[in-house]
Amino acid sequence: MRFVLRMALRETRAAWKRLLFFFACLALGVAAIVTLRSVIESVRLVMTGEARTLIGGDILITTGRPWAESDRAALDARLAAEPAARTRTDAIETATMARPSDERKPVARMVEIRGVEASFPLYGEVRLRNGQRYSHALLDQHGVLVRPELLTVLDVAVGDSLIIGRTPFVIRGVLDSEPGRRSGGFSLGPRVLVDRQALVDAGLLGYGSRANYQVMLRVDEAKVAALGKALTDAFKDRFINVRTFRSTENDLGEDLARAENYLSLVGLVILVLGGIGVSSVTRVFVEQKLKSIAILKCVGAGTRHVLGIYMTEIVALGLAGSLMGVALAAGLVAALPAFVPTTGPTGAPIDYRLTRSAMAQGVLVGMLVAVLFALVPLLRVRLVRPSLLLREESGGSRRIDWVRVFAVAIVGVALVAVAGWQAGSLRVGLVVCGGFLAITLVLLAAAWLLVWLVKPLRRAKSFVVRHAALNLDRPGNQTRTVLLAVGLGCFFIVGVRAIETNLLDSLNITVGADSPDMFLIDVQQDQAAPLAAFLTPRIAPAPPPMLLPVLRARVTAVKGKQISLEKLADVRERGSLAREYTITYRPALQRNERVVAGRFWDATPSATPEVSIEEGLQDRFKIQVGDTVRFDVLGLPIEAKVTSVRAVNWRDARAGGFMFVFRPGSLDKAPHGFIAPFRAPEDVAARARLQRDLVAAFPNVSVIDLREFLDTGRALIRSLTLGVTIVGGLVLFTGVLILTGAVAMTRFRRTRESAILKTLGASTRVVGKLLLLEYGMLGAIAGVVGAGGGLVLSWAISRWAIALAWRAPWLDVLAAVALTIVLVSGVGLAASVDVLRRKPLATLRAE
Amino acid sequence: MIDLRGVSRTVMSGTAPLTILHPLDLFVAAGQSLAITGPSGSGKSTLLGLIAGLDTPSSGRVAIDGVDITQLDEDRLARLRGEKIGFVFQFFHLIPSLTALENVLVPMEIAGRADAASRAASLIEEVGLTGRGHHYPSQLSGGEQQRVAIARALANDPPILLADEPTGNLDSANGAHVMGLLLDVNRARRTTLVLVTHDVGLASRLHTQLALKDGRPDPERSRLATAEPR
Repeated sequence: MRFVLRMALRETRAAWKRLLFFFACLALGVAAIVTLRSVIESVRLVMTGEARTLIGGDILITTGRPWAESDRAALDARLAAEPAARTRTDAIETATMARPSDERKPVARMVEIRGVEASFPLYGEVRLRNGQRYSHALLDQHGVLVRPELLTVLDVAVGDSLIIGRTPFVIRGVLDSEPGRRSGGFSLGPRVLVDRQALVDAGLLGYGSRANYQVMLRVDEAKVAALGKALTDAFKDRFINVRTFRSTENDLGEDLARAENYLSLVGLVILVLGGIGVSSVTRVFVEQKLKSIAILKCVGAGTRHVLGIYMTEIVALGLAGSLMGVALAAGLVAALPAFVPTTGPTGAPIDYRLTRSAMAQGVLVGMLVAVLFALVPLLRVRLVRPSLLLREESGGSRRIDWVRVFAVAIVGVALVAVAGWQAGSLRVGLVVCGGFLAITLVLLAAAWLLVWLVKPLRRAKSFVVRHAALNLDRPGNQTRTVLLAVGLGCFFIVGVRAIETNLLDSLNITVGADSPDMFLIDVQQDQAAPLAAFLTPRIAPAPPPMLLPVLRARVTAVKGKQISLEKLADVRERGSLAREYTITYRPALQRNERVVAGRFWDATPSATPEVSIEEGLQDRFKIQVGDTVRFDVLGLPIEAKVTSVRAVNWRDARAGGFMFVFRPGSLDKAPHGFIAPFRAPEDVAARARLQRDLVAAFPNVSVIDLREFLDTGRALIRSLTLGVTIVGGLVLFTGVLILTGAVAMTRFRRTRESAILKTLGASTRVVGKLLLLEYGMLGAIAGVVGAGGGLVLSWAISRWAIALAWRAPWLDVLAAVALTIVLVSGVGLAASVDVLRRKPLATLRAE
Repeated sequence: MIDLRGVSRTVMSGTAPLTILHPLDLFVAAGQSLAITGPSGSGKSTLLGLIAGLDTPSSGRVAIDGVDITQLDEDRLARLRGEKIGFVFQFFHLIPSLTALENVLVPMEIAGRADAASRAASLIEEVGLTGRGHHYPSQLSGGEQQRVAIARALANDPPILLADEPTGNLDSANGAHVMGLLLDVNRARRTTLVLVTHDVGLASRLHTQLALKDGRPDPERSRLATAEPR
């Protein structure tokens, strides 16, 4: 053992400079894992500790519709009888329009308004800007607290007045954060905080308007779970949601743990790529060490000694690489507060630091990958015979080495286990490893094909071209490793860029030349005619607004199919059928629809409810023509017969898209609102003025500016793809590292060959050209294979995952291939400077 | 000490078998010295490799100190070499990443000798390389490298020393120095010495000679002791 350790130390002393390069590949992967895990663990620590603040109480009861008298009474009675429920506060949240009272400012903006009582908040605190302290008195007498972004958009300041609904509110402070604010969710606009009664009095809660009614409770800790369950049971059929801070804590913890595991797979992918580098370096290293191994065996060392020496070396360098990764992660995490929020959604500070578990996992995974990937090439030392010292021996025997085959199997299983462990799911581990294997095989097959395609160049007249082509396939070449490493980076980047381009394209198409780009929602029945009269002249020459009747409904049962959807729990299990749908009625199909089954009704109204469903519902929930579907339309049960199935072209947003369309006659009398899509003027100032005038005339109506939403969407897509592109960049960087290392590792052979070529009359220029051409070809093949793979990936995702029309971004692809060629030949040549510079005699004499 | 019975070696040359050593009997008693001579390709180095267990014979048996080494697996062969056989090559074959001293240390460390460090230092001194122990092979001349190789071969005080053209790559002065060292070892330590050489003059300084031609003994040029009575 002492001999093994000493020899490993001596060998490492001589080789670490060359080898560490590859272990730097491991460092990148380990750094990614440690950073991602540490950051999410830091966030989790804050978020789960703040679960009470996040939901605003020990128990939060919410409903999406106004409290039914009976429910309200039952809840009041239940809470009155429960001594553990010590304090209670009610709140209402809705989206509406706000505008400055100052008539000279022609702007209006949708806001998320929340009305709270004096007892709010039960937990946590409302944080205000500039050190101002919150008290409910700020909201008295129509006071309002607003987010800073609203001040900018509406060009107002603290002390100014806003009109919300028909009521003026005075801005009394600027809001940083508040307990009970939903985090990360989709937001319709900046938050605005008012007194609950003021919100009710402002007339914003008309029939059918979208509001969320909340009851927050402070409960004795020991009784939280029991009361939570009792309330859930009592209201489970009433579409009333009950959550406790414990369940929130658990959900959050689980969500974040899942996010942590999935994100760390990104690190694992980089690490596996590093592993391929390690495998390649080990192979070349063993090849270089054959003589030393034979000498060791000649002077008495057994296979176990030799394996021990090199395995110890791999472990030591793996550890060094992993520790480098941890150091890198420490640097990244320390720099993080400059780029990401340092407070959680509730305003609690997040202390980003490396966590012990993240460091341990990073180092362990790094070393496992190093050992696993080194094992198979290292096993070759078993077959080295000391007779090598007496005469040059031809390559090893052609017999299958079952030990190696067994080792490959073990390594495969171990990698699946590592991926499964990192992802927290064996299935995901299998999928990731399978996916990686598939991509690898495809890239290798494509690379093999391209190498085969350039074979005719081996008979080229030009000496340089001929030898460059031959070099791609020389014994012990690094072609496959480099192609895989660089090709994979190119693959990720081109794939992601292509998806981004197509997503952005689709957003551009949606705002076509004459399609609507502004939507009014919450238009009341009696406002329909005046609104049309108001808008038509203001948007001319665009066509008058379409007024689409809308109602909100839930599916409670599908009859004739033995599917019970009577209870909320069952509804949940049925997936998205449980959500609230916006439904409409009309006499005819829209131009973005066609019937695929059954028959659409004629224009005559019918008192018997008939419904047409979108084809996705037919597929997913097995609802067929002839089935009866029961709806709960704002508390009113309606049973309708499915008479047709429609295919909707969702990308043509002109007439909106509805999953359920009713035949006129059954819903007309029910109280309902309208939405009105229309084409607004292009000019930004004119759009702002129109919004402002609309809100002044119809205060309860909300305006959604599609263009603003698309801008937000574009920004979101850009930041998402930026994230994935960074990962692709890291992969490419790892690829370049592997390339540089591969060139450095084969330098001993290159130097010798170049010395012989020079002795035979080749100038340094010729040898340089040869190398440049060889690496140029390698880069071209890697670029074509990677970019081609990326295109296929983007096409497949567009086609199957997000159902988008696809077009290849050829310019990007060409740029990617060209860049890869420049990168690979540049790196290849730079790493070979030594080969070019050395005098041939020095090389040959050193033999 | 060294006892070969009917030992031959056939390799595949392309698709046809090529016998590089025809069946041969050979006995070298303890403390004796034997020179194997012959032109290039006559099978000298092959025979030496078979004696050292670096190669496996196609037929026959090789016994070292009474142990049939053709029956041993690679690891036991390695152990036997570590204990009983020292080897000196024409091309030195030092491990380039280790210093001269470390190259000498290796066989003793494998054998787990406690006095390895002090013994390595005295061996380096013995071969006349005092002060050069911390140099890497690339920093030493050919003659110096070969002397390190001899020190390494003597490290575990083996009863047998095998040398494959040890002076073949050296100038005459260095060659004479190295040869003197080897013959001293044979005389002073009673180490059995088997040496492959082209040099007939050199061969004549050893107790016995085996001349090979086309893989067979050339009786006219050989001068062998009688085989040990069986």
